[in-house]
Amino acid sequence: MNLLKEFTKGFVKENPTFVLVLGMCPTLATTTSLKNALGMGIAATFVLVCSNMIISLIKNVTPSNIRIPIYVVVIAAFVSIVDMAMAAYTPPLYKALGIFIPLIVVNCIILGRAEAFAGKYGFFPSAADGLGMGLGFTLALSVISTIRELLGTGQIYGMDVLPKSYIASPMLAAVLVPGAFFTLGFLMALVKILRKEV
Amino acid sequence: MKEILKLGIILFLFCAIGSGVLAFVNKMTKDKIAENKKKTEADARKEVLPNVTFDGPFTADAGKPDSLQYFIGKDQKGAIVGYTFIASGRGYSSTVRTMVAADQAFQILKIKVIDQNETPGLGANSSKDNFPPRFEKMGISDLVVDKDGGKIKSITGSTITTRAITKSIRNALTVLKGAVETTPKQVAPTEKLVASGGSL
Repeated sequence: MNLLKEFTKGFVKENPTFVLVLGMCPTLATTTSLKNALGMGIAATFVLVCSNMIISLIKNVTPSNIRIPIYVVVIAAFVSIVDMAMAAYTPPLYKALGIFIPLIVVNCIILGRAEAFAGKYGFFPSAADGLGMGLGFTLALSVISTIRELLGTGQIYGMDVLPKSYIASPMLAAVLVPGAFFTLGFLMALVKILRKEV
Repeated sequence: MKEILKLGIILFLFCAIGSGVLAFVNKMTKDKIAENKKKTEADARKEVLPNVTFDGPFTADAGKPDSLQYFIGKDQKGAIVGYTFIASGRGYSSTVRTMVAADQAFQILKIKVIDQNETPGLGANSSKDNFPPRFEKMGISDLVVDKDGGKIKSITGSTITTRAITKSIRNALTVLKGAVETTPKQVAPTEKLVASGGSL
């Protein structure tokens, strides 16, 4: 088991967003600005690493018939703990990331990796897989959101980038719902071409 | 049957452990969370109505769905300078909460959006500095978005957000006015209405 390989596969080769097509709901919802995308990505990565580690530890006491409900319980409990701990001890961080925490529960990347990887492999490969997948997710969200924010508002990370004349009347559709689908579709096609599948 | 029972018990054990851990963490953190929330609101209150001491919270229309918690701001001599309250309304993609300070004529002194998750570049601009001044010196009847014939200039492309904020403030201000005008002028501090649980 090559740890480095498990870590890096999430970036491009098995990118959760563009290749595995997991976690589409948070992808579409939180890529309206780079700031939101990074918040979602970091929060999801953290939970993913931790849930992968816990699930790989309990895999021997988990009967296969009921593994999914057990994963759901572990993930939901863990997310709630993170939510409460952040609200209590790191209020500024909670203010920035708090709204993404409940969204993580419904992020199928977490459950997907628990089922496809952490439930079968050991502690360290699972942690590496979680970290790689989480960073791959963050990377994908950052790319999508940078394009949407730039086209939709003329800004990147809340700072003006394009000329004032563009900012005054930007392509608003890019930050609205259709923009998410268009951007995601074009980027998926691009990744497919890069992976020489087309 | 035996198999189902066994699986059921295992699942039950996992859930029981999970609930136990959650109950423990909740017990550890809930006071701290409530304290943080209070502090955030207190800071916002000071920002919209500076240099006063606050009395409260009082509850207007207690028990009704539109009940409102408000504070009375007094200067050093004890004269009422204004009122502060949190107005909240459903925006385009989130609940927008706004800290509002109003004077005794129920005209708005200052507002600050304290909580929103609206579309970046559009409704989220309500948190920018150029938004709150649009509400200053507005009375209840002025609090209608310009598109609907009122005096509040809406954010370009975000009439829904502006309308939600405007409407929530107008409603809250109406409730406040009703409550203040029906209570006797001299409210001794000891007769303070006790906040009815959860803070708004």
